[in-house]
Amino acid sequence: MTERNEMEAAIEAILFVSSEPVPRTKLLELFDEGERELAAEALEAVLARYAPAEGAEGRGVLVEDVGGGVRLATRPEVVGWLRRFFDVSGGTKLSMAALETLAIIAYRQPVTGPEIQELRGVSPAGVVKTLLERRMVRIVGRKEVVGKPFLYGTTREFLVHFGLNSLKDLPPLEEFEETFGSGDASAVAGLVDLAGGPRGEEPGSSDREEEFLREVAELEER
Amino acid sequence: MSEEAPELPDLQDRSDRSDLPEPSALAEGTGDDGGETADTTLPAAWRVHLPIFEGPLDLLLHLIKLNRVEITDIPVATICDQFHAYLGLMEELNLDIAGEYVYEAALLIHLKSKMLLPRPPRAEGEPEDDPRQELVERLLEYRRLKEVAQSFAEVDRLRLGIWTRRPQPLPAVPEDEEQQVDLGEVSLFDLMGALKQALRRYEKEHPPPLQLSLEEYSVRGQFDRLLGALDAGRPFDLISDLKHRTCRAEAIAAFLAVLELARLNLVRIHQTEAGDILLYRTTRDLADAEREAIGS
Repeated sequence: MTERNEMEAAIEAILFVSSEPVPRTKLLELFDEGERELAAEALEAVLARYAPAEGAEGRGVLVEDVGGGVRLATRPEVVGWLRRFFDVSGGTKLSMAALETLAIIAYRQPVTGPEIQELRGVSPAGVVKTLLERRMVRIVGRKEVVGKPFLYGTTREFLVHFGLNSLKDLPPLEEFEETFGSGDASAVAGLVDLAGGPRGEEPGSSDREEEFLREVAELEER
Repeated sequence: MSEEAPELPDLQDRSDRSDLPEPSALAEGTGDDGGETADTTLPAAWRVHLPIFEGPLDLLLHLIKLNRVEITDIPVATICDQFHAYLGLMEELNLDIAGEYVYEAALLIHLKSKMLLPRPPRAEGEPEDDPRQELVERLLEYRRLKEVAQSFAEVDRLRLGIWTRRPQPLPAVPEDEEQQVDLGEVSLFDLMGALKQALRRYEKEHPPPLQLSLEEYSVRGQFDRLLGALDAGRPFDLISDLKHRTCRAEAIAAFLAVLELARLNLVRIHQTEAGDILLYRTTRDLADAEREAIGS
């Protein structure tokens, strides 16, 4: 009989060591069948411990539910310190062209290049290549039409990067209908919430980063 | 339909667009769509002021917004003229106009002409066919996807701030053993992609040597040529003939052919005091079997 405390410790340690999201079922299967219920409780306790909730300001890591599993990750608030310590810029933002193409693939998958072009009015060849390289999309097959074009779909990497657990978490496309240009799209809000984003602070995050850098510079002068 | 003159709306009025790429992003150039990215040789000021659209549909949406009209009721003539005015501006600035824009411009003219034509009468109660229907649907769909892309952009920026552990081998795996690769996410197409990339990289690093097609000259070919050129009674200057061969190989073949001609008693070879070598055709005829025996 495994103690509940021991279970929590084991789960926490596994999450610490894993670099990929760990499916919940896989975590629970670690324990004997009779103990699964207790293990589930232990897992929830660990998740709650790291939940990106209010009052967790002093913490540097969180646990998030992404890509069909749970994983430990750093809190977005500390990224400035990480970049400074590791001396890296940490990833490039996707271009608008890439995001448009990704949106089409995410909502219309499996979809071919010509179909993407039809929707965007622009050939997607270069952008699709970028997305393939960044492992946001993958080739899922070929369409049985003339020319047998590749069919593209999104990857688990896409889910993880956008903080989604599964494709079902994508807000329905219809929700994007009437909000164009208002900047307060409910679907956008939904997506950002899902992604574990701090609502409201969002537009100013780059300002905060600048502020942070200024503060660092001041400290150094002293 | 609007009566206003087809003047180009202020295309610089893009401040309301939150998705307008930052100048730095433009300078880096995503290079993925090509076409609409400003030529780097253009003066910087021009580049800053010319709005960048993600494509013809993006430009159309922007024009519709500037004209404060509904997507479902587009004044085709006005929008069409403004679209062409924008293409004209791009041309003036020496920007490459991507084919997609030209295609869309042609579609708009087609639509404009359709709007001018009387439509076939419809039965009572049946809704009238609007030739703009297809364009409207495309624009609505594109607008929705653009909205999605914008929210993706927000999430993308946010999520770049969330880091995880870098994957590293677990201590149990001895270093000399092959590292375990997570094959769960690797599909056949990923492997094909990897192979293709490896091959492409290999080709890039090992460019194929300059290929020259091998020019072949047969002895028999030269034999026939010389035999044809030889004229009974007239001397044939061999040195000058060899000098006019295009390459070493042809000259060698020609020389061997001369040896064959001599062997078959078809020519007599004379050398003058000046060193010139002259060939004289003998009266002997060439048997077919003899010709066949010469290497081709």
